[in-house]
Amino acid sequence: MSTQPRRIAIANGGGFIPGLNAVVAGAARAAHEVGWELVGIRDGFDGLLHPDRYPEGGLVHLSADAVEHMSSAAAPVLGTGARTDPFHVRTVSAEQAVEEVDRSEDLLEAIRKEALEAVIAVVDTHALSVVYKLSRKGLKAVCVPKSAENHIAATQLSFGFNSVLSFAVDMLDRARQAAEAARRIAVVEVLGEHAGWLALQAGTAACADAILIPEIPFDLAKVAGKLGPKVTAGRPYGLIVVAEGAVAVSGHAVAPPANPLRASLSPGATGHEGGHVIERSGHAAAAIALDLQRLTDLETYPLALGPLVKAGAPTAVDRQLGLAYGAAAVRALQERQAGVLVAFQPPELKFVPLVDAINKIRTVPGDSVFIQVARSLGISLGD
Amino acid sequence: MTTQPPTGLVLNIQHFCTHDGPGIRTNVFLKFCSLRCKWCSNPESIHPKPELAYNTSKCIGVKECGLCLKECPESAIFTVDPDLKVRVNWDLCTNCGKCVPACPPQALSLFGHEMTVEEVLDEVEQDSAFYQESGGGITASGGECLLQPDFTAALLAGAHERGINTAIETAGNVPWAFMEKVLPHVDTVLHDHKLTDPARHKKWTGVDNARILANFKKAYETFPEKTFIARTPLIPGVNDDEEHVRAVLAFIRPHKNVVDYELLPYFRFGESKYGFLGRVYELADFQPPTPDSLAKLRAIIDEAFGRTASPEHV
Repeated sequence: MSTQPRRIAIANGGGFIPGLNAVVAGAARAAHEVGWELVGIRDGFDGLLHPDRYPEGGLVHLSADAVEHMSSAAAPVLGTGARTDPFHVRTVSAEQAVEEVDRSEDLLEAIRKEALEAVIAVVDTHALSVVYKLSRKGLKAVCVPKSAENHIAATQLSFGFNSVLSFAVDMLDRARQAAEAARRIAVVEVLGEHAGWLALQAGTAACADAILIPEIPFDLAKVAGKLGPKVTAGRPYGLIVVAEGAVAVSGHAVAPPANPLRASLSPGATGHEGGHVIERSGHAAAAIALDLQRLTDLETYPLALGPLVKAGAPTAVDRQLGLAYGAAAVRALQERQAGVLVAFQPPELKFVPLVDAINKIRTVPGDSVFIQVARSLGISLGD
Repeated sequence: MTTQPPTGLVLNIQHFCTHDGPGIRTNVFLKFCSLRCKWCSNPESIHPKPELAYNTSKCIGVKECGLCLKECPESAIFTVDPDLKVRVNWDLCTNCGKCVPACPPQALSLFGHEMTVEEVLDEVEQDSAFYQESGGGITASGGECLLQPDFTAALLAGAHERGINTAIETAGNVPWAFMEKVLPHVDTVLHDHKLTDPARHKKWTGVDNARILANFKKAYETFPEKTFIARTPLIPGVNDDEEHVRAVLAFIRPHKNVVDYELLPYFRFGESKYGFLGRVYELADFQPPTPDSLAKLRAIIDEAFGRTASPEHV
């Protein structure tokens, strides 16, 4: 508390998303400007918890020079921390028993030993909860929000979402063209288990015939009714965009939501046994395509974009946003703020206490301008 | 040694079971396991402490209720929209259980509670008429019942005192001393041979099988009067190959007290329970074995035991 941090770290909790390297570069450049040293922790917190796994060391030196030529689309320099939860580290004991051990104290000790005065953590909703718990145990942390669904409520825009959205639109355009060639209805599933931002915005941009999102329970008969007259001999194809968490009016989708198990989980919930999470995307699209085919004369085919959209180069927006988030995280530490999340609340980047950021999911409100726009374009929202 | 009668962390007492030992049996599931089999059908039995479970479908929503939100000291229960069901942030939940009594529809519950030997036996004994008719009794299962050795030994010794036949289900991944303590009180030892290859065993269960095999061999030799039945939970693509079945037969056949080798076809029993616990089932895309592959493997076992058809062979 008495001195400003001189040596700080940055870690990535969760997987890759476009713009991640821009956050790292932003933090590195901003740290350099104020004369601080920035190091990266490999693979979430694994670089500190399991340094033995890294022959070159669990930490990466991130000088301004080191990030000078870092490609924005390359594999993340920090690795990924999708399976990292220091409170539940799967271990085989000396007694040959598999167990999940709370190693948060070891992590904090390793951070002290490395003389790291604060950690900038790039977080999804799961990592946000983990870092919140670490901050309650004394870790000085500043979080940067990343989300492909843009559902972290504290910020208007998580980095990564704009890139995911752009790529999804591109893929939807292709799906429509393929549907046209095949004279069928493409049912394309996109990420969005809790919030329909991606489906709604991408679907609207691609002028889909229908968009089904978790916030608006859908009636497939109504979708079919709207689709029928549109799909004529002159236009024998269509495009339906469905968020993986979409549910039917009845409560149980005509079609189960993306996955009945995951539907019962909390946002960002992971296995306590070391993150045994599998992606089972595609179920919503498959079920809806099948039911629509039963309800109508139309032939359909399902397609799931899944995590494909989370790869690749960031858009200009995410490069700017990433750099800005990284730099703002350093500024937060300069201002001696810790236990906060950097939030983009246009036109400002603000610092929101972690306790106010956890457990908050931003869903699409019923009066959203995006919903109004979609309706005015004649897009069915399934209601 | 404690002077207090040992208590056990019991997950569940299941009546009228017919697949875990002779006759009609009462299965006592104990919590705590030292393996992490990816096909586990009892995920709620893994951890050595009571755990919160949340059945979303029972929640009546915060508009009507919402009492749990006030009880949680960890801010682990929250809502997304005010009229919706609550959600559990499993990363924050410490399994303290304070929300459980506050939940009228019992959407929130705890898996696992402490019971004394007498409490368990009193419940088990209610089925004693069925044991006499069928040759059944009590089966201690789990989890890994041998990881609570004092309790399991006392439970099965107590069952014997009440004239109840005893069996255990074990995966064998425990210190030998635990096995040695419990086995004198067991009539039938159902024991798992999950995979033969040590590296694959480690991949699918978390540890290799060296200690397990050493324990079983020592158990066969130390307790020649006990009945042992080897078992394999058959997971297609993991261990449903002839090589594994033949390796298990080679391991058990020299020991005359190993009287059978059962194949338990994989079913997705446990899938929904993962959701209740905030975990995701890893094997969601695995399918149960086909009748043909099962019949083929069972024929190999029948042949090794010199039978024309196994009792399970329909």
